[in-house]
Amino acid sequence: MKKTHSMKERARFDKNSNPLSRALVMILFGAITTLLSVTLLPIGGNSTKGVSASTNPTTPQGTNKRYKATSPIVVDRQTGRLRMPTREETDELVQTLSTLAKRPEGLPQTSAASGAVAIDLDGGFGGVMLARPNGDGTFETKCVFTFEEGAEFLGLVEDNSQQ
Amino acid sequence: MRRIFFSRQLSLLMFAFVFIALSGRNTFAGPAQFVIVNINAVGVGFNDPTPAAPIGGNTGTTLGQQRLIAFTYAASLWSARLDSNVPIRIRAQFTPLAPNVLGSAGPVSVIRDFPNAPIAGTWYHVALANKLAGVDLLPANDDINANFSTNFNFYLGIDNNHGALPDLVAVLLHEFAHGLGFSQSASLGTGALLSGFPDAYNTKLLDLTTGLHWNQMTNAQRLASATNFGRVVWDGSFVTAGVPNVLVFGSPDVKVISPPAIAGSYQFGTAAFGPAIGNPNVSSNVVAAVDVAEPPSGPNPAGTTTDGCSPFTNAAAVAGKIALVERGLCGFAVKARNATNAGAVGVIIYNQLANVNAAPPGMADDGINGQFVTIPAVSLRRADGLAIVGQLGGGVTANIEKDLSVRAGADPLGRARAYAPFPVVGGSSISHYDTVASRNLLMEPAINGDLTHKVKAPDDLTFELLRDVGWTFPDADGDGVVDDEDCNPNSDVRPTIVLCDLDSGVPNTVFANGCTMSDLIAQLAASSTNHGSFVSAVANLTNQWVRDGLIAGQQKGAIQSAAARCR
Repeated sequence: MKKTHSMKERARFDKNSNPLSRALVMILFGAITTLLSVTLLPIGGNSTKGVSASTNPTTPQGTNKRYKATSPIVVDRQTGRLRMPTREETDELVQTLSTLAKRPEGLPQTSAASGAVAIDLDGGFGGVMLARPNGDGTFETKCVFTFEEGAEFLGLVEDNSQQ
Repeated sequence: MRRIFFSRQLSLLMFAFVFIALSGRNTFAGPAQFVIVNINAVGVGFNDPTPAAPIGGNTGTTLGQQRLIAFTYAASLWSARLDSNVPIRIRAQFTPLAPNVLGSAGPVSVIRDFPNAPIAGTWYHVALANKLAGVDLLPANDDINANFSTNFNFYLGIDNNHGALPDLVAVLLHEFAHGLGFSQSASLGTGALLSGFPDAYNTKLLDLTTGLHWNQMTNAQRLASATNFGRVVWDGSFVTAGVPNVLVFGSPDVKVISPPAIAGSYQFGTAAFGPAIGNPNVSSNVVAAVDVAEPPSGPNPAGTTTDGCSPFTNAAAVAGKIALVERGLCGFAVKARNATNAGAVGVIIYNQLANVNAAPPGMADDGINGQFVTIPAVSLRRADGLAIVGQLGGGVTANIEKDLSVRAGADPLGRARAYAPFPVVGGSSISHYDTVASRNLLMEPAINGDLTHKVKAPDDLTFELLRDVGWTFPDADGDGVVDDEDCNPNSDVRPTIVLCDLDSGVPNTVFANGCTMSDLIAQLAASSTNHGSFVSAVANLTNQWVRDGLIAGQQKGAIQSAAARCR
């Protein structure tokens, strides 16, 4: 999560400010930030990260569960028609969903002298937008937050035959 | 031309004026600056050099440029709406995600008990916490994670003319909103709060059964609330004020009227065939349909006498009533067609044992039978269907209707409904608006095709919810009107009308469009060719203000006198 921007590009915009005012704002902002950093920053000074962390995603990660699709959810790139996902595609889908749609538990809290407390969400707690193709070229979409609801939306069920 | 100008102004005065106290304005930080932190490597994602033809206002000439332009455009729409002196950093990339995954976004961190936190012991998404604190509380971290798919064929135009393709800008607006504060963090598996503390979103979620907000509940109460369909509302003042301007009257409803033991509104699924709910409203007794038990056929198991897959044998009893049918064996449209043929006025299809814990399904047409269905068809959970079955001996009356006294997506008191279906759907329950909302809202679980790129009333209610959790909007002059909709973002907001340093002593009203009386007079000064025409124009304007009841005659005289002396 740490920012390492030296090799990264940034696209900035601020449609209502001119370069001079932007510079002034940034100078002022920098001064305020510096001033407040004595008491506010950085959160994480008392970090327990890496000590008490017990990230245990409520996803199939780390389990032996395998899933299979129950309906055609892939638009074939060659034919443009709907088809069932291949085993590899299903596994990739499960892996991606497991990675993106997670709500880790036991995340460590970090605190600052000011009393502020923060939790790094470890890439979880975000919305994942899924698309389920219809036969007519349209898509149904759904924003999910967990693997389970994503699997349900896409018709993925546990494949007991693989275990 | 001047007369036309006056007419336009008068319309604004008549239909949209408000009096806003000119004192007590908040410190203005300006539109939030969004920083797109592109973490793609050279040649991929935002940096993909594949040539692309400009499309829908997106002028990029490579795939990577177009992605970045769409991203930047979506961020700019939020930038125009949100006020912060701390840049909002979106850690962004396009990567080859699995099929069916468009992308994801969410907050990097949450923070509580920071300086200026509105509510102690309450989590705030980091971008909002930074805004409220006025300082970047986690300067070493980005604020929002965003990862979208290079494998998916998004519409990359920015004009919303997306056709059948998912509109990337709309998807981004939705997911960015989650990252800005439109989501809750309590576990929907256990009801437990995140590390024992509620979040700002929890404080506005009201359960109508318990009368408690989510931050006031026990874990068990939160769990129950997460599936309290239709009875979890957002009671923040900004959303509630926006509801009448956004949601239309006519809430679709499946409601048992009697007996009292099972009376109430039920969670239901709709059909892709037959007339829409409310066309017409149906109110009648419910009768269980009976048909022959179909023998096994090939891979199909035997049918039952309750599945409605064959012509009803009790058609006489069903005629004029609402038919109750169990899911299974055949398609939904077959059952609804049989109910139509039996003379039913509506049909309810409830889940069978195989779907005992499933939500009421959306019912697809089979392309054959749906065209013969002329009655409204809805689906119910199995538990709800069985509850009705259990009361049929004493008679059950139900409505399949559009309740014209309730706005679609709101409760009877006009508060927006949160998405709280049964069974609970992981994290998306509660962190979205209810799918029954009409018009469609950006923050429903699905991105509907008719969404605009506007995020506030009268087009949407996302911005209003973000205001309820603590966001403010760019308002340079503090007149209560967001700058990019303000007829003068830098209004003369002095408490009285002053012309050429001559104080008329007349209170300076701010109108709903963001202009003040002083602004209108200043416009006259700018457009007048000489002093005489200016005085005349001020006379016309102030006479109209008197007729509109905005000022008294004596006040008109004071303004006109000041104008006459203003050279």
